[in-house]
Parts: sequence; structure tokens; C-alpha cells
Amino acid sequence: MVDAPITRPRTRRDGQFDRLRDRETSMQGKAKRGGRFLGKFLSNRLALVGFVIFAIICLMSLFAPLLAQHDPMSPNLRAIAQPPSVEHWFGTDKTGRDIFARVLYGGRVSILVGLGSALLSALIGVIIGVYSGYVGGWLDWIAMRVSEIFMSFPQIILVLLLVAILGQSLLNLIVIFTLTGWGGIYRMARARMLSIREEEYVQALRSFGLGPARIAYKHMLPNALGPIMVNITLSTAAFILQEAGLSFLGLGVPLSIPTWGNILNAAQDLRVLEQNWWIWLPVGATISLFVLSVNFIGDGLRDATDPSQQG
Amino acid sequence: MEHDVALTVKGLKTYFYNNNRCNRAIDGVSFEIRQGKTLCIVGESGCGKSVTAASIMQLLPTLSRIEEGEITYHGPDGPVRIDALDRGGAQMRSIRGKEIAMIFQDPMTALNPVYSIGFQIKEMLMYHTGLGRRARHDKAIDLLASMGIPLPERRVNDYPHLYSGGMRQRAMIAIAMSCNPRILIADEPTTALDVTIQAQIFELMETLKRDNGTAIMLITHDMGVVAELADDVAVMYMGNIVEAGPVGTVMRNPVHPYTRALLDSIPVLGRGKDQEIKAIPGQTPDPYDRPKGCQFADRCMHRIDKCDEMPPETQVSDDHRVMCWRYQEFASNGR
Amino acid sequence: MLTYIAHRLLTLIPMVIVISFLIYLGLELTPGDAVSHMIPPDAYGSMDPDRLQELRESLGLGQPFFVRYWIWISGVVQGDFGYSLAGGVPIADIFLDRLPATLELSFAALLISTILGSILGTISALTRGSATDQGLTVVGMLGVSIPEFFFGLVAILVFAINLDWLPVGGRTLPGYDSFWDRLPNLVMPALVLSIMMTAGVMRYARSSMLDALSRDFIRTARSKGMPEWRVNILHGFRVALTPVIVLIGFRLPVLIGGSVIIEQVFQWPGIGKEFVSAVRSQDYPLVMMVALFSVLAVLIASLIVDLLTAIIDPRVRLGE
Ligand SMILES: Nc1ncnc2c1ncn2[C@@H]1O[C@H](COP(=O)(O)OP(=O)(O)O)[C@@H](O)[C@H]1O
Ligand SMILES: [Mg+2]
Repeated sequence: MVDAPITRPRTRRDGQFDRLRDRETSMQGKAKRGGRFLGKFLSNRLALVGFVIFAIICLMSLFAPLLAQHDPMSPNLRAIAQPPSVEHWFGTDKTGRDIFARVLYGGRVSILVGLGSALLSALIGVIIGVYSGYVGGWLDWIAMRVSEIFMSFPQIILVLLLVAILGQSLLNLIVIFTLTGWGGIYRMARARMLSIREEEYVQALRSFGLGPARIAYKHMLPNALGPIMVNITLSTAAFILQEAGLSFLGLGVPLSIPTWGNILNAAQDLRVLEQNWWIWLPVGATISLFVLSVNFIGDGLRDATDPSQQG
Repeated sequence: MEHDVALTVKGLKTYFYNNNRCNRAIDGVSFEIRQGKTLCIVGESGCGKSVTAASIMQLLPTLSRIEEGEITYHGPDGPVRIDALDRGGAQMRSIRGKEIAMIFQDPMTALNPVYSIGFQIKEMLMYHTGLGRRARHDKAIDLLASMGIPLPERRVNDYPHLYSGGMRQRAMIAIAMSCNPRILIADEPTTALDVTIQAQIFELMETLKRDNGTAIMLITHDMGVVAELADDVAVMYMGNIVEAGPVGTVMRNPVHPYTRALLDSIPVLGRGKDQEIKAIPGQTPDPYDRPKGCQFADRCMHRIDKCDEMPPETQVSDDHRVMCWRYQEFASNGR
Repeated sequence: MLTYIAHRLLTLIPMVIVISFLIYLGLELTPGDAVSHMIPPDAYGSMDPDRLQELRESLGLGQPFFVRYWIWISGVVQGDFGYSLAGGVPIADIFLDRLPATLELSFAALLISTILGSILGTISALTRGSATDQGLTVVGMLGVSIPEFFFGLVAILVFAINLDWLPVGGRTLPGYDSFWDRLPNLVMPALVLSIMMTAGVMRYARSSMLDALSRDFIRTARSKGMPEWRVNILHGFRVALTPVIVLIGFRLPVLIGGSVIIEQVFQWPGIGKEFVSAVRSQDYPLVMMVALFSVLAVLIASLIVDLLTAIIDPRVRLGE
């Protein structure tokens, strides 16, 4: 082994390391960056991009009356299934309604359904999960079994089953999503509580004689907020996808109300699929973009709130 | 008495680059491991003992590198510069495990839970010996037997979770010793174990050293272990070896304030019940914000202005060296 | 191991009973009574009222609720699932007819996503931080963000209509019913159905692999001087695999859910498509039966997952 090399060949990393080392020696003991959470979130490029897209789509839907020159509901028999033009940016559908306007107004309902159901189910899940996780006992046992029952159904089957029983309406859909969605966040909140419960400060609070509700909601809940926020984001994305899927089947929001899924419903017709791409492609892309942005935000939140990950 | 040197480390610097910061975990460390002898590396946790071991084995994580220095393994085919080898290259791999083997601190996590102990021993034999399947199996049983594991024919097929902590560490040693390495690096092998089992493990290591002539680098934070087992000792503090020499010399005549503080912090047999045990005041500094000069200065009772400058390594005697500006005062002082 | 299986079964059975009970409750509360579910609708119309009343008595409909439930569930256990309101076909016949198509599609998708997902996830973990890793992460994100049926629509437009490589939909043509004849029809729905799950498996496999690679025994394996591939595959991947299999079991409901919509998009004649039309036409007996069996499928899948995990993990296998 006489011909062994004397120096290790440099790699791509070496340059990076050199820079770090030199910076460190040149600025010994400078102030550190503040705001760990915000800093981490902002330094995540994808999360930032996601947030910008999310904000743009939300704002455009919110200000739909200002941005759209046409009414999303009124048919126009003189402009049936027209391709995109200056007059109709995304073209018109088979009854001559302006698709751009429908996408904007549809966004209002779809985002309402997604975000609303996510927030409601989080509310229910957290209220039950935090309390029963901390207190335990029969309440916990019952809540756990009920959530197990809900979760042993494939979600979409349960949703469709409930649609069949309750009937189709916007409100029903939100109720159904909330009913089928609370279990996941409940379990997560409960699990967090179970682990926080063992920490010393909780023991201390208990010895001060604070009531269980106060300890659970006021002192322990804030420590579980990170994962809860991540969960809300991710379930928003999931609900928007589900609404789209259900409405595409014609079983979600009643067809008279424009939603992203309802617009896509037209593409069940092979002729529309083949000849009128503008009726379904832009709205499909919008859904995808929106859900993608929400997922990026959720990922960023996860990284920013997860203490176990560094760098 | 001349002994062959098994491994030389000279001016080793290993830095970590996690979180976009530079952590100078080891900042210029030199020592030798002599053939058939035990070198103890001792120091508080976080001082760089494990990183030293990982540097020798080239088992550093991705975001770290050896900056400078030489690690030379004096093998049967002449010296090899380990630091110059590719981390995952064939040459390094043929040294790792075969020539230099290592056992780790926590036997509970160091073994793979999904493979049997036998499999994990035979794996090593497969890569470094020409033994056939049958022979490997027999050898694994022999090894377990020589580590004092009862019913080795049966236990060889057991999974780690069926072994107790002490037995797992024996199995770990069996793996490490399976190819008769010239050097065994043991990183706090008993920290996670009971005191009684600790004694058994050390006895086993002593036997192996005696019978096979293996050089041992034993990492510990316990001065009592050093007194018991070491031939040579190197005291580490924040990435430097602050004092090193034969164990008798260093224990009898410690000249670095840190060594003296360490010795004061353990009970010594035979000094009676009313001996004074003093904890070292203060805490180790933030590795990202190290003092400029002597790393120990902030906690040192004998600090002077000069300590803001890094003291050089100075020979106290032929084989005893120290990094301290005022060592002469303590040397003459005696104990 | 045997006690373990027994234990799992014991926790499962009450669950099945409660859910079947709820489903029967739903069946009773929805329009139409049990007699109308139990005899073919065309026969029902032409029957004289006295005879019907007799039948009701003989079926125990005057009996208390729990007895009626008992009669119903005994029938289900013996394969008498009742009749669909639309066309009066026995539900058991519908299942026999449609189940193979759904199973074929689901297993194809499961296979694709498991293999592809764990390979990509492992690659991603092994090249952590590199351009490959980042690219795969973004692609995975796209995979879970784009609605599956939208993927399906685009795929039909591109591969079936424009390129004319694959059929637009359906499962088989009359006279062509070997698996190889059907394969072109299966390709698109199976691939589209597997996308979301592949992305999920990939993401999970990546983090599971990273977790495994950070464990101490990986360092031990490296310290033996073995080649990197062996450390990564035999020690890293092997340990990372267990949670991935668990995930796949938990993802089964997602797969079933996805197949409901995908079967519609590709006109795949499976249970999912049947279910959607049952919901549309408020064919409650059929809806409830599909729901009951999907729950059974999920529970059985979770049981199988547990057993598989037990086989892989020696700690469970050997009854610790
Ligand atoms: N895997 C690692 N990643 C980042 N930093 C590390 C890693 N391992 C060790 N270090 C840093 O190197 C220094 C020395 O650690 P170590 O050698 O493990 O100490 P010990 O003497 O207790 O074995 C510490 O400052 C530690 O933070
Ligand atoms: Mg250590």
C-alpha cells in the first residue's frame, strides 16, 4: 500500500464548507437571526411560493365581482361553447356561461367548503381530543371508539353514504365533511396531549389546584398548536380535492351552484373532453395549483414547527 | 521498553458544518496508540472523544470533514494514511472492521433489531475472511462462547431484543473481535450498563488485549476507569488534548488544571471517607462560541491574562505533554 | 404469534358488529321496508297485500328491532345480501359480477405504487438534499395535489383520443376476456389510480429511510467495512420497510376511495361505479351493502398488515 494517496480529492461540498468556515472566523460572535419560526418558514422557498399562490387565488375569488365582467350563472345562447377570446378569457361552456367568471365564483364555494370543513372538524376534534386526552376516562373511551368507527370506513364511501341519506346541498356537504374529518385531528390532538400530560409543568399546574379544563385548554393546547395547524392545512387540501371529486360525479354541491368540481363535471362528456378543452382544463389546473399551494404551506409549517428537524 | 506503534494521529482537526455553522469539534489533536496497550481518552461529554474515534474510522457524518492532520495506520503492509482515503472506498473498507474495529456506547441501539446476532457476526466474517458458510457459522458460535455467552449454539440465532444489555455488549465485542483487528476502539462501552456488568466487560477486554495483542483505544469520561485500565492516557477538553502521557505519570503528577480538577472530582480508593470531592465549577462553553485562547480558561482558578492566547503543546518530560501556560508551577507543586 | 392473532381478532369482531348494526339502522331508517329489500321488486308489485303481511310476519318484521337485526345479519352471513332496488337483482350477484374488476384494478394500483413509491422514496433519502431529492419531492407534491380524475381526463385526452394508443375506457370487449386482452384497458386506470398513493408511499418511504439511516446500528454496519449498498439496503431499507408496509395498509381506504371516482372516469365496471349509480338513484340496500363490505375490506386489510408487520419484526413475531 505504498502508492496510497496523500490527500483526499476535493468534492463539491468542500467549497461550501470552506466558505462557512471562513465566514465563521471572520465574524466571531455576531448576533444570531431572530424569529426562528418565521425565519424558517420564510427561508423555505416552496412554502413562500405556495403562500403567494394561495393568497392570489383567494383574493381573486374574493373579489370575483370586480374581476369578472360576466355573470357566472346566466346562460348566453349566442355564445355557446366558445373558445377563449378577449371577451371570454377562458371561453364559454355549453350554455354560454363565462368560464372565467365561473372559476372565480366557483373558487369562493370550493374554498369555503374546504377551509370551512377543515376548520370545523379541527374545532370539534381539538375540543374533544384535548379534553379527553388530558382527562381520560369514559369520555375518552367513547370518543376513541366513535372515531375508530368513522375511520374504518374508506372516507369517500362514508361521504357518499351520508350524501345518499342526507341529500345533496352545500350545507350538508360541509356537515358531512366535518363528520368524516374530525377523527384524524382528534386522534392527533389526543396523542399530543397524552405526551404533554407527562411533562413537569403540567404536574406543577395540577398541584396548584387548577381545574382540568383550564390546564388542558389554556396551558397545554398552545403546545400542540403546531401540528394542529399543519393538520388543518392538509385537511383543507384534502377536502377541496374531495369536493371536486364528488361534484365531478354530480354528487357534491348541487349543480346549480358553480364550484370547481361542478365546472369539471361537464368533462364527463367525452365530446366536451375531446373538443372543448377550455371547459375543463383551466379549472382542473386551478384546483391543482391551489391544492399544491396549500400542500406547500402545510409542508413549510411542518418543517418550521417541528423541533426535531434542524437545518 | 520499545513498543510498536499501531496508529499515529498528528494535528487532527475535524469540523462540523451543521445548520450552516462551523463547529470546530476537534482542533488539533495528536496521539499514538501503541501495539498491545490501552490508550484511554478521557474528558467530559461533548469534548470530541467520539468524533476522534469517528475520524479514525472515517465514519463521520456527511456534514463534517477532516480539515487537517494525519492519521496513519501502521499495518502489516506498511503505513497507510487513513485521512487520505475515500470514506466509502474499498481500501478504507478493508481496514474498517478488519484492521480497526469499533464498539459503541449503547448496545441497545447499536445492533440491528431485525437480524439475529449470528447474522450480524457472520456478516463481518463474510467481508473480511474467506470462510465458507458453515465455517462462518461455527466461528460465530466460537466467538460468542469466548465472550462468555452461555449456550452459544442456541443464542447465535437469537435476535438482539432477547439479549440483556451486558450480553449485547459482549455480542458487539464478538463482532468487533471476529477478524482479529489490530486496534479496537471502544467508545464508552459500559456507560449504558450496570456497574457489575461494567467490570465483566472490562475484564473481557483485558483478556482480549493480553491474548491477541490488540491495541485498545478506550474512550471514557470516568477517571476511575482510566486508573484501572489505561497504559497511556490523553485528557481531552473542547477539542484539544490538554494533557497526555503514561497513566502513572499523569495520575501521580497531573500538571493541567483540568486534569487536576477531574482527578479531584472522583473518590480515590484508600484516601478515606472524608476526602474532598469537588465538582468542576461552570459548564463547558458553547461549541459554536468557543473561547479564543485556552478553552478551559473560563472555568480555571489559575487563569491569567496570557490564557487568552492558545497555549502550545509543551513536553513536561519525554512522554508527558501538556497545553497550559502555567504548568511548571503546578508541576513543582506536587500533590 | 397465535395469541397475537387471536387478540387482534377479538378486538376486530366487536367493531364489525357495531358497524353492521349501524348500517342496519341506516337501512331501516331510509325509505322502503325490509320486505321490499328481500324480494325482487317486480314480484313485490304484483303480490296481494295479505300475502305481503304474512311475509312480513314470517320474516319477523313485527318483532323487536334487535330480532330483526339478528334475522338480517344471519342472512348476510349466509350470503343473502338482499335485493337492489334498481332492477331487483340480488346484491350478491352484483358483487360477484363486479368485484373481480375492482380487485384487479386495486391490486394493480397497489402493486405499482408500492414498488415505485418505495424505490423512489429510498432514492430520495439516499440522495438527501441533492437536486434529485428536491425534484422528487416536488413531483411527489404534485402527485398528491392534482385530482386523480383530472389526471384521468388528461390521460384519456392524450393517450386514448389524440395518440390512440390505449382504449378510452371499459374493461373488456365481448369475446376478448383473457387477462392479456384486457391489459391495454387496465393500464391507464391502474396508473392513474396509483399516482396519489405512489406519492404518499414515496414521501413516507423517504422519511422512514432517513430515520432508519440515522440509527446507531447503521454506524455499526458501516464500522464493519461493508460496502455502502449493503449498509443501505440490508440494514437501512430493511428496517425502513416495516413502517412503509403499515402505511400501505392504512392507505388501502384511500385506494378504495380513489377507485370509486376512477372507475367512473374510465367506465371501469367495478363496485365503485355501481356504488356511484346506487347513490345517484338512492338504491339504499346496495349503498349500505357496499359500505358494509368496504369496512370489512379495510378491517381485514389492517389485520393483514398487522400480521405482515409481525412477520417482519422479530420482536412481535416471537411473542414479546
Ligand atoms: N453528528 C453530529 N452532528 C453535529 N455535531 C456533532 C455530531 N457529533 C458530534 N458533534 C459535535 O462535536 C462535538 C464533540 O462531540 P462528541 O465527540 O460526540 O463528544 P463526546 O466527547 O461526548 O463523545 C460536540 O460539540 C458535538 O456537538
Ligand atoms: Mg461520545
